[in-house]
Amino acid sequence: MKFKSKFALALICTAVSAAAFAGKDEDQQIKFRQSAYTFVAWNCAKIKGQVADHPETYSKEQVIASANAIAAVANSGLGALYGPGTDQGTGWKKSRLKSEFFEKPDDVRQVAVAFKDEANKLASVAATGNVADIKVQFGELGKACKSCHDKFRVKEE
Amino acid sequence: MSVSIQVWDLPLRIFHWLLALSVISEVVTGEIGGNLIDWHGRIGVLILGLLVFRIIWGFVGTKHSRFINFFPTPARIGAYFKGQWQGHGHNPLGALSVIALLGVLGTLVGTGLFSNDDIAFYGPLFNLVDKSVSDKLSGLHALIFNLLAGLVILHIAAIVFYVRVKKHNLVVPMLTGKKVVPKEQTVPTEQSVPTTDHASSVLNVGIGIRRLLVALTISGVVAWGVESEAKYLAPAPSSSASVAAKPNW
Repeated sequence: MKFKSKFALALICTAVSAAAFAGKDEDQQIKFRQSAYTFVAWNCAKIKGQVADHPETYSKEQVIASANAIAAVANSGLGALYGPGTDQGTGWKKSRLKSEFFEKPDDVRQVAVAFKDEANKLASVAATGNVADIKVQFGELGKACKSCHDKFRVKEE
Repeated sequence: MSVSIQVWDLPLRIFHWLLALSVISEVVTGEIGGNLIDWHGRIGVLILGLLVFRIIWGFVGTKHSRFINFFPTPARIGAYFKGQWQGHGHNPLGALSVIALLGVLGTLVGTGLFSNDDIAFYGPLFNLVDKSVSDKLSGLHALIFNLLAGLVILHIAAIVFYVRVKKHNLVVPMLTGKKVVPKEQTVPTEQSVPTTDHASSVLNVGIGIRRLLVALTISGVVAWGVESEAKYLAPAPSSSASVAAKPNW
């Protein structure tokens, strides 16, 4: 009897903790990727501020540092953070990934590769220190961001 | 016998075509994105100014510009459907479309001012709200655009319908301001002499220009105020991004 109740308790504990941890890995992936893009947004704001909004504040090293940071994130293998089921979970906030993401791997590859390419190109243009060119390439990176947002991100309502 | 009467005053026509051009530019810049998103923001502020102007002009403009003369009240709409409406400005259905377009454009501008695109664009009033609120307004901005698209399609379809079926060209009056109507039609709704309608818009040019200047000044100040708001409120993302506060590490 005593054994039986201990066994039942153990079962309940297992069930409860399993429920509590269900989706834990997915949520962790979502947190990582939300953090990655937030970090990218900070670096984008720095570049834009220095090449577009306030060119008088332009600092070559800072723009290079930001462009390299963005390229590093883009090259870090973000695809690993898009495991099955990660359109449903909640990271720092609820994920806005569309479920179509998992049905259109070719489109996903296209936008993912575009992000990497444009980010790498921005890093190399930043190294030249030509503000006009940096601004143009920054716009191209923005378009790459937008194409994924348009295709695979739920509009906030 | 037909006569040519003045229906749309010059400021109204300039407003109309500037608005049409601006809306087209907004669609293009919004769809392409990239660096054009900054122009999307600026043109949005221009549209804000145009809308403010139109509202003021709806009170102080010439006859057919004034809301009081065309506001689509149920009585007017009812009369229109019974075939009893007579007039030369916006008919009650067209007036509904005008109000809807102004309302939807106002909502688009209103949400756009607080929006962000999670890339590198922040509306001029972004800093007045939480990021989460801005995100919601950005989503609404995209959603409400569908309404605008529907209204614009309806607007153009109505013009085509008038040209093809009712044999009325609505585009020419919006360019020249003048509309040709049978002489007898000017009698019931206009003052007895057909030329008074035209005269009313040119008679007091001095007063008209003063009102126009006031309307332009107010709308200019509103648009300029909103645009410069962005600079007064140090934008959150670029405050941490500015060069000034920079430790060595």
